[in-house]
Amino acid sequence: MSQNLTMSPDLGKEDWDPDVITRMIFIGPGARVSEQEVVSEFHMLGLPLTIKNTCYGSMISGKSADVYKAIEEIRKLDPAHIFTKERGFAPGDPRRCRGHRFGPREGFHQMEKEYRILGFVSEALENPKEVTVEEKKPIKVDEFKKIMDECLENK
Amino acid sequence: MVKIAIYPPNSLILADLLERRGHTPLVLQKQIRQKIKDPEIDSPPMNITEEDPIKGLKYAAIEVPSGVRGRMSIIGPIIDDAEAAIVVDGAPYGFGCIGCARTNELSIFLLRNKGIPVLEITYPTNQDETYVMVNKINEFVDSLEETAGEE
Repeated sequence: MSQNLTMSPDLGKEDWDPDVITRMIFIGPGARVSEQEVVSEFHMLGLPLTIKNTCYGSMISGKSADVYKAIEEIRKLDPAHIFTKERGFAPGDPRRCRGHRFGPREGFHQMEKEYRILGFVSEALENPKEVTVEEKKPIKVDEFKKIMDECLENK
Repeated sequence: MVKIAIYPPNSLILADLLERRGHTPLVLQKQIRQKIKDPEIDSPPMNITEEDPIKGLKYAAIEVPSGVRGRMSIIGPIIDDAEAAIVVDGAPYGFGCIGCARTNELSIFLLRNKGIPVLEITYPTNQDETYVMVNKINEFVDSLEETAGEE
């Protein structure tokens, strides 16, 4: 995997600007908007942003003030199902972009796992309610012994 | 607005829930971004330089493996800046850039010992547990707002 480490990125002026940030926009399960709608909305805002359509939603990059303004607007489309997260690398950065390296990028695995409960989080945000969950306790020794005896007898 | 350290530090759900309430989550990606934009790094793809294990000495002893110290040079400033923390137990952070169990243990230990309000919750696996997690986070954030208001 040395190719993943030795690649020399050709960074543009924007990539070196400390005020430029990148955010990932996730569309949770059961959302009322599509990736394309979100991207179109970003374009309609008319802000100087780099916008990218992705499988999980979209990615935007630009000056932090513009990015936060765009996120505020885009959340209004579906507040409970649109999630956002900071990203360290700019869109298309050869050190992370799948087009230039092998396998999924590092952060993808975390994203993939968290996406599984994203629908539950959306539900909790949309319809908040108090819930008590029974704490899981280990089985009692007598009961365990009884089960063991039964299993041994039926062997 | 309170600066809240989250663990796993690259969590989407935790960062998003805190931003919704107007607080600043201290996330790993911001640290990485600073790192990769540093013009002093000769070879930007190599994110960890020889300086990092030395910086990590602030958080871990010299006997600690250099991999842990290198990671602590990035996670350490998050712990320094934290005014509160949310730690999720059993979260799927065994992948990717922070797949180091010892760094995770050390970071959580430092957060607990810092004397800041720390919320410890379990990673949910079903709908009801997710309700509990979201409610606990919201209650914790409200309590922080009340404390900040009193001051």
